[in-house]
Order: sequence, then structure tokens, then C-alpha cells
Amino acid sequence: MLSIYLGKMDEAIYYPPTYFDNRYEDEWITEPLAVDMIKDVDHSTVIGSHLIESPVLGPISVKELSGGVKTLILMAFDSSGKVFNASACGDNCAGWILKIGELKDLTINLRHIMDFGTERFEAKILNTGNTVHNMAEFIEIAGQYV
Amino acid sequence: MRGKHRIIIQNNRLHYEFEIKRNITIIQGDSATGKTTLINMLRQVENLGDSSGIDVISDVPCRILEGRNWKILLENMAGNIIFIDEDNEFINTEEFAEAVRGSDNYFVLITRENLYNLPYSVEEIYGLRSSGKYQNTKRVYQQMYQIYSNIQDVPVKPARIITEDSNAGYEFFEAAGREKGILCESAGGKSNIFNLIRNVKDEEVCVVADGAAIGPEMNRLYKQAEKAKNITLYLPESFEWIILKSGLIEGKDLQKILEEPEKYIDSGEFFSWERYFTKLLVNMTEETYLKYRKAHLNKAYLHDKNKRQILKSIEGIVL
Repeated sequence: MLSIYLGKMDEAIYYPPTYFDNRYEDEWITEPLAVDMIKDVDHSTVIGSHLIESPVLGPISVKELSGGVKTLILMAFDSSGKVFNASACGDNCAGWILKIGELKDLTINLRHIMDFGTERFEAKILNTGNTVHNMAEFIEIAGQYV
Repeated sequence: MRGKHRIIIQNNRLHYEFEIKRNITIIQGDSATGKTTLINMLRQVENLGDSSGIDVISDVPCRILEGRNWKILLENMAGNIIFIDEDNEFINTEEFAEAVRGSDNYFVLITRENLYNLPYSVEEIYGLRSSGKYQNTKRVYQQMYQIYSNIQDVPVKPARIITEDSNAGYEFFEAAGREKGILCESAGGKSNIFNLIRNVKDEEVCVVADGAAIGPEMNRLYKQAEKAKNITLYLPESFEWIILKSGLIEGKDLQKILEEPEKYIDSGEFFSWERYFTKLLVNMTEETYLKYRKAHLNKAYLHDKNKRQILKSIEGIVL
């Protein structure tokens, strides 16, 4: 299930893309979930664990992926127990955060009101203990913390 | 620093082009739109100059500010457009806000966080997007777009008005609204608007706030208004700007100032544009019967002819 802590969280990794650059594992990049996220968010194709094909930049290294997709990959595969600041992700990552939250227990930190879309979803707000089920409920609480 | 500055940053693959005209500009939006790539290119130019292979075309220097020594570095910078990437947590501190206040630099901040210490305009919150290839080259053309460009579905005939202002602006809307049977209440500051509008039921409500400084509130106000449908956000630069625009005040160069405020507003003197418009209105009416004070509305502004002239320049509300 997805759990969200809203606002400043000292123990969270504030800028996950740098953490990713120093801690990612090669095998994460070729996992089907990572391949799909890289295709969807960055419009780029995973050639191998050391090479990505970007439509704009041409052949790039893993370290040149977007900050948003790096953060998603950490959420999906990092097992350190760290909480990552999901405000490094744009709204085009929101659907993937919900999906990762369905696959595992995922806790994120959010410092802005992310748009999780019009469909029903489930997320526990750690600040209040409430569970929200749609954007209206989420905005109601998040607007008081971020 | 003052004025509008056109900036081009390009290499063989990318062409960024945009204009910066206020002291604080925010870039946010979707992932993978080239925000960090922009910063990386500017960093390479800063370190290597022309030998980086990157062209920067700008009438003022474009610099990067980052790291723990940001304050010392900033103290020695003037007349620059300073870009700060989202990995610099200091941008949401009061210390940084104090450094921006009175700075002779413009700041371009990449962040999705709401920076409540900084008074930035709703008009200066941008995303980046690709607009295809640049002039038949291989370069992808990256442009900024206003994130909140189409929010004001105005004019509206509300049942209730909520003003950010609790002083002169509120008094004007309260008096004008009362005549039409429209309830007007003050939020007593922009940070209270969200709490008021989240309790709105079915009535049509219009929020009137200073667009020049409402930027940090926009994330939650826009999302709440979008959800509720019966809440409209009317965000002129400020109440004083409405008066200046109404034609009620005659003054040399006023029209020119209103057309291109950035030519007249110095970032070192004014933290945000609404403070300039207040000072301008106070100065221009000093020795007249329309003498303006923000703390309390001069009743002359409610005289029928004057009031009607101001109301005509309020594009957001039918009063």
C-alpha cells in the first residue's frame, strides 16, 4: 500500500536522483517494470543495463535518465528502507507511484500536491492517519501540509 | 536589476529559448522535460566558457548557484540571471528569501515545492515543453509555457467574494458587493484562502488575490478550484494595479509603466510587483483628493463615478 508523509521530512532523501547515481544496481535497469517506466516517462528505450536510447539526446548512460524516473526506480527496487522525496517526480510519474504502491508497501515524502488523476486510488496519509481514496480527499488534507 | 531578458541556450541537440522579466521565475512540470539538462548545460558553460561547445545568448550573464556556500557566492553576484536546480534545499529557507529580497539579480528556480517565503507571480510559474525541431536543424526546440495560463474563466457573477486583502481592497469589494447583494469576506492574508475555499458548498465564489505574489499558493488553490468547479480565481496584479489601470489616475508615463512594468521595477528595491504598484499609486495621489492609503480605503474611491470607473477595469467580476 502507498503511504505518504506530507511536508518537510528530515529523514527523507531530499534529492533522490543523486542518491540513485551513487547507489543503483545494474540489474534494476533491465527489470520489465523499469524498462516500462523509462519508456513511458522518458520516452527512451533500454538497450542494456549500461545504455539507454533517448529520442532527444541519442545514446545516454543510466545517469542521464530523468530525475523523475530515477526516483521511480528507487521506489521500486531500493531495499534500504529509505523514504524518497516524490516531489522530484512530475505528475507524469504519479500513475507509476500508485502502481508501485500496489506491488509493495511504499512510503514516500511529498512536498507538493501531486496529481494522481481522476481514478479512485488508495493512500494512507501518515500525518493524520487517514486513508484517502481520490484526489478530492487528498487535496483536502494535502493542502494543509504542503 | 530590471527589464525583460531573452535567453537562448543551445548545443547541437537542444535549443532553449525564453524570456525572464521578474525577479523570481519558477520552472516545474512533468519529469523528463529537460529541466536538469538545462542546468547541466549552464554549468558546463560556467566552467568552460566557449570551449564547452554551448552557446548562451543573453544580454546579462546566466549563472548557476548551488551548494553549501551559496550565500557567500550570492553576496558577490549582481546583474545576473541565477539558475538554481531542485537539489538545493536552501531555496525554501527564510535565509534564502532574505537574500533574494533586495538582490540585484533575477532568480530562476527549478522546484515543485511551494516556496511560501517568496512572493512570486502566478504568471511566472512555467513548465518546459518541446516544440519540435528548431528552424530545420536537428535541434529540439525547448520552450517555457505558463502552467496557470488558462485558469481565469472570467468574468463571473459570484454569490460571494473572498479577498486576500483585509484593508483597502477588501473595503472596496465589500462596498461594491453590498450594493449588489454579494457577500464579501476577507481571508486576512493569502495563506488563509485555502482554508476558506475548502469549506465552500454550492454557491458561486470568486477569490480575488494579488496575482503578483500568489504563486506559492497556486498549487493548492488551483487544485481545489479545479475540483470544486464553483470557485473562480481572479488574480489581477493587485488592487492598486486595478486602480492605476482604470484611468482614474492621470500621470505622466503611467500608460507606459503599465504596458511594460519590468522596465521600471527594480528587483533590488521591490520584492514583488504589487509593492511597486502600491508605492506608485500612493505617490501619484499624494496631493490629491484621491490620496491612497493601503491600510484604509479613502472614501473618494467609493464615489459613484470613481467607483464605476474602477469597476469597469475589474475584468474578473460583474459588479
